[in-house]
Amino acid sequence: MAQVQEQEGGQEKGKHKKVRAKRSSTHIDMTPMVDLGFLLLTFFILTTTFSKPKTMDITMPVKDKVTEEEKTKVPASQTMSVLLTADDKIVWYMGEDDPTKPPETHVADFSQDGPASIRKVLLEKNKLVFDKVKQVEDSVRNGLIPDKEDEIKRHKAQVKAAEKKGLIVLIKPDDSSKYKNLVDILDEMLVCNVARYAIVDLSDSEKELIKNSQQ
Amino acid sequence: MPKIKIAKKSPSLDMTPMVDLAFLLVTFFMLTTKFRPDEPVIVDQPSSISDIPLPDKGVIMITVDKNGRVFFNVEGQQIRIDILNKMAERFNLTFDDKEKKRFAVLASVGMPMSDMKAYLDASDNDRKKMNLETKGIPIDSTNNELNFWINAARNVAPRFSLAIRGDRDADIPSIKRVISILQDNKANRFALITNLEGAGVVEEPKN
Repeated sequence: MAQVQEQEGGQEKGKHKKVRAKRSSTHIDMTPMVDLGFLLLTFFILTTTFSKPKTMDITMPVKDKVTEEEKTKVPASQTMSVLLTADDKIVWYMGEDDPTKPPETHVADFSQDGPASIRKVLLEKNKLVFDKVKQVEDSVRNGLIPDKEDEIKRHKAQVKAAEKKGLIVLIKPDDSSKYKNLVDILDEMLVCNVARYAIVDLSDSEKELIKNSQQ
Repeated sequence: MPKIKIAKKSPSLDMTPMVDLAFLLVTFFMLTTKFRPDEPVIVDQPSSISDIPLPDKGVIMITVDKNGRVFFNVEGQQIRIDILNKMAERFNLTFDDKEKKRFAVLASVGMPMSDMKAYLDASDNDRKKMNLETKGIPIDSTNNELNFWINAARNVAPRFSLAIRGDRDADIPSIKRVISILQDNKANRFALITNLEGAGVVEEPKN
């Protein structure tokens, strides 16, 4: 009601004296706002990091007192010990760690395809499993296995677990090695499809082996 | 000769679509950005081919820097306060509400419990200095505070997963010690945080 009355009053006034409404353009200068918009845009683009950190899952054995008989015996012929040492060097040997009969050691490095690449050694020793995993990949390509990530993963895990004669790797980081070396060797396990590996402590005789191999 | 008339064109363009797009992008980036509190240490993570992403929530993170100093971090303000309460109880300390609030909004902490109160009371600049000088959370067998931290965190948030964020050059004995402490706490499954190979180095906030 109040509004209507006001309007009437306004019209009456208009009769006596014409008020010319100022014609102002409906355009507002938006330049400052747009400037600010772009400033914010630049800020947010530069501060955003899209790459999320990735993780590598590892499972350690339950730390309980295990008697000598309960320990899982691993066949020596399938076992490879990888000793990580200073300066990104690897010392590896096959078979058991027997202080009385020191095994033949080899030196390797983390290069992808150098003459002493650990990947080459692992691929060769783990050919059995690696080929089977490759077969899975082939059957994906041939359409025998649906091309879904979790499906492929499941098949690969199955193949890896089924092969009992595959390589077993014992990773033994020496105190002089770096964390990077540990991650790198775990990475090689993934690349080479090594199904069974564990991080183990070094024995005294193995420390001796490292010393001897560096001479 | 007929005069050639050049069509008069206004020099102003219609910028509306561009501005619309710009603001759309601003909105997008504003909503997707998550501001992290300053990390006290710069950690250069090793790279791997593993492509499992780190979950957004529910991670108890243990950072080991290149000098082997250990830092502890959990996200979630209430959870952090609960953990601090548990730690205070164990070490017979009392923290007032202000200190608890301060702890809740911090990132990783690497202080022995004896210095924790001074650390929380300090100003932002002093805290930065303390972060540089600290020896990290003690992990020796005689003074194993990390064990208590993990224990408290597992009690408060039993479903949280564990992750180790190590520097490339962190020494193996510290890493082994941390893993062993995790095993002592019956946490046998955990993740190592890495960068994706070839993705370059993720920018770390500089202090």
